[in-house]
Amino acid sequence: MTLALHLVAGVDFNTLPQQLVNGLLLGAIYALIALGYTMVYGVLRLINFAHGEVYMLGAYVALFVSYFMGFRPDATHPPQATILNLVIMLLASMVVCSIVGVCIERFAYRPMRSHSRIASLITAIGVSLLLQYGGALFLPNSPPPSISESVNPFHGQSKEFTLKGPSQDLVMLVEKAKPAKDQAQAAYQGWLTSHPNADIYNLPADGQALKEAQQSSTDIFNDAEHKVEAGGVHLIIQTGQAVMLVSTVVLMGILTYMVLFTRAGRAMRAVSHDFDSAALMGINVNNIVTFTFVLGSSLAGAGAMMTATFLGTPLTTFYGLAPGVKAFVAAVLGGIGNIPGAVLGGLLMGMAENMVVWAGYSNYRDAVAFLVLIIVLLFKPGGLMGSSKVEKV
Amino acid sequence: MRFWSIRLASVLIALGACVLLQALVGHASDYEQRIVVLVGLYITLSVSLNLINGITGQFSIGHAAFYQVGAYLTGYLTLNYFSKQPIHNMLLWVILMMFVGAIGAAVAGFIVGLPSLRLRGDYLAIVTLGFGEIIRITVQNQPAIGGSYGMNVTPKYQSVALVWLLAIICIAVCRNLLKTAHGLPFLSVREDEVASQAMGVNVTRVKVTAFLIGSAFAGAAGALLAHFEGFITPTTFGMDVSFIILTMVVLGGTGSITGSIFAAALLAYLPEYLRGLKGADGQPLMIPGSNVVAWLVAVAVAVTLTRLVMNKYSGDKLKKLALYLGAFALAVVSRFIAAFFLRMIPVMANKQIPIDQVRMVIFAVTLIVIMLLRPQGIFAHHEFSWSWVKGLFKRGEVPHSAVSA
Repeated sequence: MTLALHLVAGVDFNTLPQQLVNGLLLGAIYALIALGYTMVYGVLRLINFAHGEVYMLGAYVALFVSYFMGFRPDATHPPQATILNLVIMLLASMVVCSIVGVCIERFAYRPMRSHSRIASLITAIGVSLLLQYGGALFLPNSPPPSISESVNPFHGQSKEFTLKGPSQDLVMLVEKAKPAKDQAQAAYQGWLTSHPNADIYNLPADGQALKEAQQSSTDIFNDAEHKVEAGGVHLIIQTGQAVMLVSTVVLMGILTYMVLFTRAGRAMRAVSHDFDSAALMGINVNNIVTFTFVLGSSLAGAGAMMTATFLGTPLTTFYGLAPGVKAFVAAVLGGIGNIPGAVLGGLLMGMAENMVVWAGYSNYRDAVAFLVLIIVLLFKPGGLMGSSKVEKV
Repeated sequence: MRFWSIRLASVLIALGACVLLQALVGHASDYEQRIVVLVGLYITLSVSLNLINGITGQFSIGHAAFYQVGAYLTGYLTLNYFSKQPIHNMLLWVILMMFVGAIGAAVAGFIVGLPSLRLRGDYLAIVTLGFGEIIRITVQNQPAIGGSYGMNVTPKYQSVALVWLLAIICIAVCRNLLKTAHGLPFLSVREDEVASQAMGVNVTRVKVTAFLIGSAFAGAAGALLAHFEGFITPTTFGMDVSFIILTMVVLGGTGSITGSIFAAALLAYLPEYLRGLKGADGQPLMIPGSNVVAWLVAVAVAVTLTRLVMNKYSGDKLKKLALYLGAFALAVVSRFIAAFFLRMIPVMANKQIPIDQVRMVIFAVTLIVIMLLRPQGIFAHHEFSWSWVKGLFKRGEVPHSAVSA
């Protein structure tokens, strides 16, 4: 019983919609990264541990491009931010990440393809560590730089939605308090104008009484208004975050089109279905693997640019570690190798994380991903949308 | 009778060796003692992870979690209960704590081992990794054990002998397991789970046992670490520590105890060696960034050429050796050429990097290079044995291993 009470202690249902929207945003980014994991796993049966580091590099590319365009944090007169700047940063991140991803595949994973899967997994861990710690030697990371807010044309813009107004009683309270406050204020101001030489810190008795009446009625009014504000269910969405969500959906749409309706996408699905048979059917498997890495890494780059720009998180070379691991968990949760599963898993992960924050356990937000994963895998080893195959001889 | 006398003699030799070691390093500086202790602890950790990863084939990458459970559990007990209990002998208490730490970690290992019954390969890897993170984050958020500030473990007990005794016991347990019929099921589960089940091996039991033994040793190592250092923080047991232990197992050769010991000693000593390097001014050695990248280029060239020779050239052994040497020479040359060009880039040339920061980069490069050139590790599945040593010197005979996979 005490545990149950303790569990709900920090819960405020009025902030739930806001947290859900935050979870959706975070989940969309996780989904974007998870797509890279899931596609690579689908094609190569390899956990690309270095994917989070590709994401990290994408954020750094966005940072450097923003510096190059003049949006330094110490710039006194940064240029006027436009959407074009953001598009340039996005494209630069996507291109550089694709190149990095393809290089990693070509030089680290391809030689390992004939060896056991564990050997490739260890190589992937090695590449990931190399990028983290090697990057730390050269990339600016202490103090952690962050992309200047001046590059974001939507900075400070937000739209507030009122989902549910405050209760009628509270509104009545404000309406009642307002005339009383106005009256007292008018009386006090009137007294002040009739006594122009009065010292407001040392008033005669009648003035003092009027001043106190004005103060107390203002306090009552402010208090009621504050209660009205807190009593409603509000939703604040920053324009930048909305743009981020829309771009994510657009990118996912493009990806779905590429995978389902292009020749390369069909070949990719074939390779994912059966690597060797696809090769026998005349598909250039290496090109398809490269294509997969281009798709996955550019999505990671796009996600990194957007989080670094719109959320303004400081960058270190471990920037990709937590999102990378969580996105991977999301991919496994949805059923690794399954593209809709990755999106579902990403959204779930983002939601779960924000629910934990909402319940007042924000210190545990990094642990919840794994907890959800372990529970799901115990009951459904193939993930939510994946098929669990029983190994046969 | 002969059997038991040999057993007795080996136990006595092991004890004697530990006492001798203590006597040798007992008067050395704290720093030197710490190196010896760290090497011993990492040997325990890598040999115990090798039992799970290499011998049983369950890919676990969260070994630091068990290390942490042992350290925190015993650290907490010592801090709060040492003064309140009747054993006032610190040695006995620490030995007791080793067992407590082992049991605590074994319970954790049992919990992690359970998913391994349903998951395999990379799924198991990510679950063990996740479990490690859950434990670390949970510890970080418990103010009672110091949270992210860490916990003081008082009284300290610094014993080199105990650490090495634990390492020897761990090696002995794993070796004896492999040498006896009890160990065969472990190997068979690694080779083919379904087939071994068909042959009547209780796969569930084998996997859970491997996790139990492996995590128990890690827990005991954690207990010793806590009492040796006197101060532990959650970051001592991060994901990078798990990866370091994994690197040791992989470098030595998954499945080879000898390999794990060798690699653990090498990789535990290396960072301390790097830290000890001093520049001309007596300060820790700084190397220009261009040189670090130049070395990476050299390694890349060496690996590429070696792989080329390895895969494309099948001829006389001596000529092949010459080609390898040529590849090595070219790599060294390319290091200087690369350094020459990189020095023209101001970002590279002006950046001075303290040498101990390069440690994790070296680990990462080691992992990749070993995987590319010798995925089976330095010792592969071979073990050290006298017959193996003799075989090396006999011509025309293939050295055979004690335990072959």
